Amino acid sequence: MTSELLIPLHVKYIQSLDNHKDDLAYHLTTHLRINGIYWGLTSLCIMGHQDALPREEMIDFVMSCWDEKAGAFGPHPDHDAHLLSTLSAIQILATQKALDRIDVKRVTDFLLSLQTASGVFAGDRFGETDTRFTYCAVNALSLLGQLGKLEGDRKERAIEHIKQCRNFDGGFGSSVGAESHAGQIFVCVAALAILDRLEEVDVPTLAWWLSERQLPNGGLNGRPEKLEDVCYSFWVLSAMAILDKVTWIDAEKLTSFILSAQDTEGGGIADRPGDMVDVFHTHFGVAGLSLLGYPGLEDLDPVYCMPAKLIEEMGLRKQWTALERRKLP
Amino acid sequence: MHGVRRARQTQEAIAAQKLKEKEKLQEYLSLTNDVLHRKKTNDFTQEALALTTRLLTANPEFYSIWNYRRDILTEGIFPQTSAKDVNDILLAELSLTMSFLRSHPKVYWIWNHRRWCLEHVPDDQGQQTIAWKQENWSKELYAVEKMLDADARNFHAWNYRRYVQASMPGKYSDADELKYTTKKIESNFSNFSAWHQRTKVLSSLWETGTLDMAASKDEEFELVKQALYVDPYDQSSWIYHRWLIGKGEDEGILKREIQVIEELSEVEPDCKWCLESLCHYKRLLLASFTHNEDQRIALVDACQSLLSRLQSIDPYRRNRYLELGEF
Ligand SMILES: [Zn+2]
Repeated sequence: MTSELLIPLHVKYIQSLDNHKDDLAYHLTTHLRINGIYWGLTSLCIMGHQDALPREEMIDFVMSCWDEKAGAFGPHPDHDAHLLSTLSAIQILATQKALDRIDVKRVTDFLLSLQTASGVFAGDRFGETDTRFTYCAVNALSLLGQLGKLEGDRKERAIEHIKQCRNFDGGFGSSVGAESHAGQIFVCVAALAILDRLEEVDVPTLAWWLSERQLPNGGLNGRPEKLEDVCYSFWVLSAMAILDKVTWIDAEKLTSFILSAQDTEGGGIADRPGDMVDVFHTHFGVAGLSLLGYPGLEDLDPVYCMPAKLIEEMGLRKQWTALERRKLP
Repeated sequence: MHGVRRARQTQEAIAAQKLKEKEKLQEYLSLTNDVLHRKKTNDFTQEALALTTRLLTANPEFYSIWNYRRDILTEGIFPQTSAKDVNDILLAELSLTMSFLRSHPKVYWIWNHRRWCLEHVPDDQGQQTIAWKQENWSKELYAVEKMLDADARNFHAWNYRRYVQASMPGKYSDADELKYTTKKIESNFSNFSAWHQRTKVLSSLWETGTLDMAASKDEEFELVKQALYVDPYDQSSWIYHRWLIGKGEDEGILKREIQVIEELSEVEPDCKWCLESLCHYKRLLLASFTHNEDQRIALVDACQSLLSRLQSIDPYRRNRYLELGEF
């Protein structure tokens, strides 16, 4: 078992992701392509290798995902626009300092058009609602400098809906009545952070629940009595960082767990040791390590899940606390 | 990728696999191109619909194709179809998606398509509409129970269940749902999803006065006590117990439950959940029911000694216990 993050190997793994055009699996995941690029780019930034993927090509690809009919981005050319892919597109362009390529007015209209009467956002015109989509919209509006369009009644309704999704255990679910889930907790807490309404969170109760996600093997699960999974390192830790409670779990044990899920030959990180790696878990594993103060990594902003330096430059930084970055031995 | 084991393949094996896949890949790509082209040119024919079935069978996560399929139905097919046939088409959509869910129980897009189908039953047929809805929604409740039998923690299925119950004509009764959660919990005390659902159902039953809150709470404490004794190391029942206690407004209950847990803790001295809960409940007593300084000091001492024991038996959360000890 390896005790360090194999950065060069992971960089190579991420660079190679687009070399699989003769794999069926590559084509079965086109609906996640733009999300995949966001995960790859962000983890590269955190590992200090932002330039490992060609910038112009990436921006061109993002622009080719524009859905003219909807006025937003799909995950791949000729796919339909959705909030999930639109947020990824905006995050990529922001990271590449290319937000000037976006038709801000149309995207803002698209985002605002998806807010429903109850305050929650739909993912697209077919109307599926989920607290994830509220976060996507709030994050995207904020990155575009358009959060002001949500002032007043729209903002209050969005917050009210998130409050209704809060459970007695301090957590949040995907919809009113739904069970608390670490992923949904991240989106709700981060959305409240962007909207400056963290007082809606019951901090001692939620931080208790989050700290109980750590299992004896050091990994974190997403709900009581479920298995550990590397991606929860981010969902749980990001919420804890926003609540200034990262110290409530054992950082060393979690670090070892994430590192043990690396593929030491091919690069990349899996959901748990010995499983197939993917760019999603690679990104969230690296993101978790950054919040844990792993040496040599760049800071990750847990609210936006983007490089912290960039969010600070954009003037969007909210209050959060990660563990202090340890020095390289 | 969740839960797929990593297998190290030789170069030869990979090449052989690719060769085998080649034909399948070509077929998939040309089908995708064909369907996306038709989508772009607003082809809303029966033929296009059949092609989306093929493509979605190969890849049920291709959400733009689900979108296209719904557009074909509403734009191309439904306008020239009788209300009864529309209902039949929607029923066929439901059985198609059920077969997809069996192999892909966690794909959001499939669950969405079912919602869309149920919401598009023709609305203008009077009694007939009501009969269709009744039948479709009860079938749906049955279908989601099957999904929960296969995986009792599938949150997609639980969310969908709540949605079905809220939408079906003639409200689904909370009393029935309470029975359902009892059944789920009794078959597995560790099913927190069912405990969670119970917190929602009971809140509603108490609020409406359907159940007497005091009597029903006592029964709940009995049920959860059984669970705690079966496996005191399982979080689910402890978290539920905490819900029952709430802010600890009732001094009598608080003291009674502290005693129950103290007895359990004597049998299970290393169980951190006993100690953690005792500490939490004693802090509630401290906050609301300390009648004199001696009592206060005794409670603080008790909490401190629980917290220091917790620090040693549950070191991962040591900093939390340290913080809680700052009275
Ligand atoms: Zn995962």
